[in-house]
Amino acid sequence: MFEFLFKYPWPVYRKGTLVLANPWPLWMLGIGLAAAVGYALWLFLRKPLPRRRALALAGLEWAVLAVLLLFLWQPALSVATLKPQQNVVSVLVDTSASMGLDGRIGAAQRLLNSSLLPELRKRFPVRVYEAGRGLQLAGAAPAAATQPVSRLGEALEAAAAEASTLPIGAIVLLSDGADNAGGISAETMDTLRRSRIPIHAVGFGPERMRDDVEITDAQVPARALPDSRVSATVTLRQAGYGGRMARLTVKEGSKVLAARDVKLPGDGEGAREEISFPAGAAGAKALEISIALQSGEINGKNNALTRLLDVRDKRPRILYFEGEPRWEMKFIRRAAELDKNLHLVSILRTTQNKFYRQGIENPKELERGFPDTIDELFAYQALIIGNVEAGYFNAAQQSLIQEFVDRRGGGVLFLGGRAALSEGGWNHSPVAQMLPMTLPDRRGTFHREPATAELTSAGRDSLITRMEEDAGKNLSKWKALPYLADYQETGAAKPGALVLAELTAGGRGRFPLLATQPYGRGRVALFATGGSWRWQMAQDSKDMSHEMFWRQLLRWVAGDVNDRVTLSTARQVYSDETRVALRAEVRDRNYLPAADAVVEASVIGPNGSSAVVPLLPVKNEPGAYAAEWKAEAAGSYVAEVSARQGETDLGRDTLTFRREDGVAENFRTEQNRELLERLAQQTGGRYYEQGATSALAAEIELSDAGISVKEVREIWSAPVAFLLLAGLKGAAWLLRRRWGAV
Amino acid sequence: MRKLLTIAAFVSALAGSVWAYQRGFREFRRLFPDSEDTGPPVDAGVKAEFYFARLRYPNVRATGMWAMRGSWTVDYPKADRQFLQGVRRLTRIDSNSMERIVDLVSDDIYNYPWVYVVEPGHWDLPESQAKKLREFIDRGGFLFTDDFHGTMEWELFTESLNKGFADRTIVDIEDSDPIFHVLYDLEHRMQVPGIVNYPFTKTYEYDGFEPKWRAVRDDKGRIVIGICHNMDQGDAWEWADSPNYPEKYASQAYRTAINYIIYAMTH
Repeated sequence: MFEFLFKYPWPVYRKGTLVLANPWPLWMLGIGLAAAVGYALWLFLRKPLPRRRALALAGLEWAVLAVLLLFLWQPALSVATLKPQQNVVSVLVDTSASMGLDGRIGAAQRLLNSSLLPELRKRFPVRVYEAGRGLQLAGAAPAAATQPVSRLGEALEAAAAEASTLPIGAIVLLSDGADNAGGISAETMDTLRRSRIPIHAVGFGPERMRDDVEITDAQVPARALPDSRVSATVTLRQAGYGGRMARLTVKEGSKVLAARDVKLPGDGEGAREEISFPAGAAGAKALEISIALQSGEINGKNNALTRLLDVRDKRPRILYFEGEPRWEMKFIRRAAELDKNLHLVSILRTTQNKFYRQGIENPKELERGFPDTIDELFAYQALIIGNVEAGYFNAAQQSLIQEFVDRRGGGVLFLGGRAALSEGGWNHSPVAQMLPMTLPDRRGTFHREPATAELTSAGRDSLITRMEEDAGKNLSKWKALPYLADYQETGAAKPGALVLAELTAGGRGRFPLLATQPYGRGRVALFATGGSWRWQMAQDSKDMSHEMFWRQLLRWVAGDVNDRVTLSTARQVYSDETRVALRAEVRDRNYLPAADAVVEASVIGPNGSSAVVPLLPVKNEPGAYAAEWKAEAAGSYVAEVSARQGETDLGRDTLTFRREDGVAENFRTEQNRELLERLAQQTGGRYYEQGATSALAAEIELSDAGISVKEVREIWSAPVAFLLLAGLKGAAWLLRRRWGAV
Repeated sequence: MRKLLTIAAFVSALAGSVWAYQRGFREFRRLFPDSEDTGPPVDAGVKAEFYFARLRYPNVRATGMWAMRGSWTVDYPKADRQFLQGVRRLTRIDSNSMERIVDLVSDDIYNYPWVYVVEPGHWDLPESQAKKLREFIDRGGFLFTDDFHGTMEWELFTESLNKGFADRTIVDIEDSDPIFHVLYDLEHRMQVPGIVNYPFTKTYEYDGFEPKWRAVRDDKGRIVIGICHNMDQGDAWEWADSPNYPEKYASQAYRTAINYIIYAMTH
């Protein structure tokens, strides 16, 4: 209909530019239009009509004259069209594995053979390519989709690059849009846009997921201490199985590390599940996180993901300063001694002038008491500040404690006590700002009275407070814990802090018991009691809840503390993606960002392949160094980064990551229409649904990408123009009759 | 007549002995008089971190006064309270001023991780109490034994102890052990005598000639039962305020027990 009325199809109007074909000067048109205004007013204002009606009729008359005048100047569309048979059209068929689902590749083949290719060949020479891992010329429409990966961006770039030797008029992409190799980057999009070759995309596959359960992501910490508990955050989505229970499992090889039943979310909704598992002994581990296959699932390959965990046999050192002998210290020490990956060094002020040191490595260590230099304090990974008043530490030491967390990235745990927190004047110390809770501005906050502990909702999911794997049992376990021997009142939790447990003290209400928060590069926890020793003494000697709690808390405080050089990658597992972004954070001897370091990564890949990759400073991020490196082969990689500043060796760090092929294709398998539409829109092409491609061949013609000519297509002779003229004249005649102005 | 003279001589000798004994006892009591019961210290109700807990236990073959009071009450309560004054003055331990009495029947003992037992050479723990003592230790409690002497009391001590600790060996504590250095350096120790040794020309009782510093250790090698055999710290605490009890013994007894407490609170 559009083409009947407007003489040309819509793409001609969309791509064309309005011009006036008659070379007469435009000022003449202007004069004509002005004269027409005068004539129309003269014609109707002299008639015995109300002014409004006269003006309305004059307007219509003027419109008729204006259209007629415009026709004299011959309005037309200037449009670039490809010269027939002189431009090549590249047809890219996505042959990655996801196109093999739901008969997508078959539909593409049928479309090509039945209509698209014949239509295109009438106008252009056509080159058909398979787009998967790379770009491959194909003799005919591909019948199978077996490529393990779709790198649409790379394939399109390669197709566009052929314009240097071939007159490429347009690219037609038949795909489900599932680019699983890192997406189409802004750079690639920019390159395609600059090539001025329109990309027309034909989408295949359902736009919504159906009959499928998929693990969309699994977040696992990159590193852990041996024998610690690690939590994986797993995100799921599904269609067709909402509300069903499914088994979530973490495995290392064939060994099941953890498993639990989870309730599947509603259709189209995402769900986040936590599952904790033992890290086990030291070593790099590949973990498979999977959700059980449901009956009738159309894609069973997206039910599992692989993640890496680097279990490092490190032994972080924790410095515990205690202001006076108390039972809490004994039992914390005993719990820490059960953990071979924690080294607790303590200083106890036994009398006003004497200290007792435990866990020291040599007689010189801490012989002057609490450290007052960076070298001495920053050698530890974590601090515990026990029952000691703030005034014991001089201003420099208090500032050092703050720097220890903020700059060094260490962890600090504050305990309650009769000289701790507000009782010890910590509320007036600069250190107070890094505490997760506010401190009351008064004394009398410490009570040697029983208090019971209870988990908050955040505590139910936390690894620190996990005494039982099952959330319900864990909650019950906490409820059944003996009362604390004492407690300390604190204020409210600060924004960003996580209150994991609260205490209830008869008559005084509820207060936060255990809270954590990140601060600077480090982390801070506050445990508002010195009486958790009763959890040990008042329970059976075989009960390990006290030990477990303290080991987990100490591991949280000390376990993930970075040294001077830290290497990271954007992800642990690169599925069908070769670009690996290496990033190192480098600190100097004083843990300040080292902007002038020489940073180098040595990467060892599968089959012993190796490469040395220099990392360069990241602009506007002092101490950050980065490099992008291509990991071509699938397999496991170990990267070791080292940093030097002048002659000083700042340290090194290692990291494992993994490359795998043919995996990502199984995820997010529904059509990514948004990507295809964006691709078409950014390059001047158009997105087509697979059943609506009849205009594609014609539209391709309208392009200036290859060998093209400018055509001027008159539009004044379009039927719609005459209909307009007739309509205006008819409306004027009807009004004149009605108003008696004939 | 000869027989009569013999009897008269025997009676007068007996009377002389009794008189001499009575005179000696009176002299002894003059030097070490019974303490007046002044009641609990005024601040006994103030809650604290550390409590001196004294173990009440069943006696073996007791006679006389101790059969009535129980051997566990020896030196009680003056020794405990006087010692606690020292703890409060000499350390930063937040101590309560009055002892607490615990036993191995109720679970209250688990609220007091440090327990003192006097004259364990006279205890007779039934199986259940010995097992509870073991549980107390396994949970993290510490037992300090004192004031038992010689071979016979040692055997009685170990007989009861072994009901709960048959798998443990009693070992001598090295001079270099942290328990002798945690606050005071106590490499050179002497035998601390009880007041029965007045005027302290000898310091041992029975055949307990040498002081023995022994211990039961746990799996980690930590001392969990401190065994002070052939010495009497309790008397030393009790009579530390007496000019008739040598200061050097009292000082060592205070230091030893303070070290044991701090050790118990740190290991």
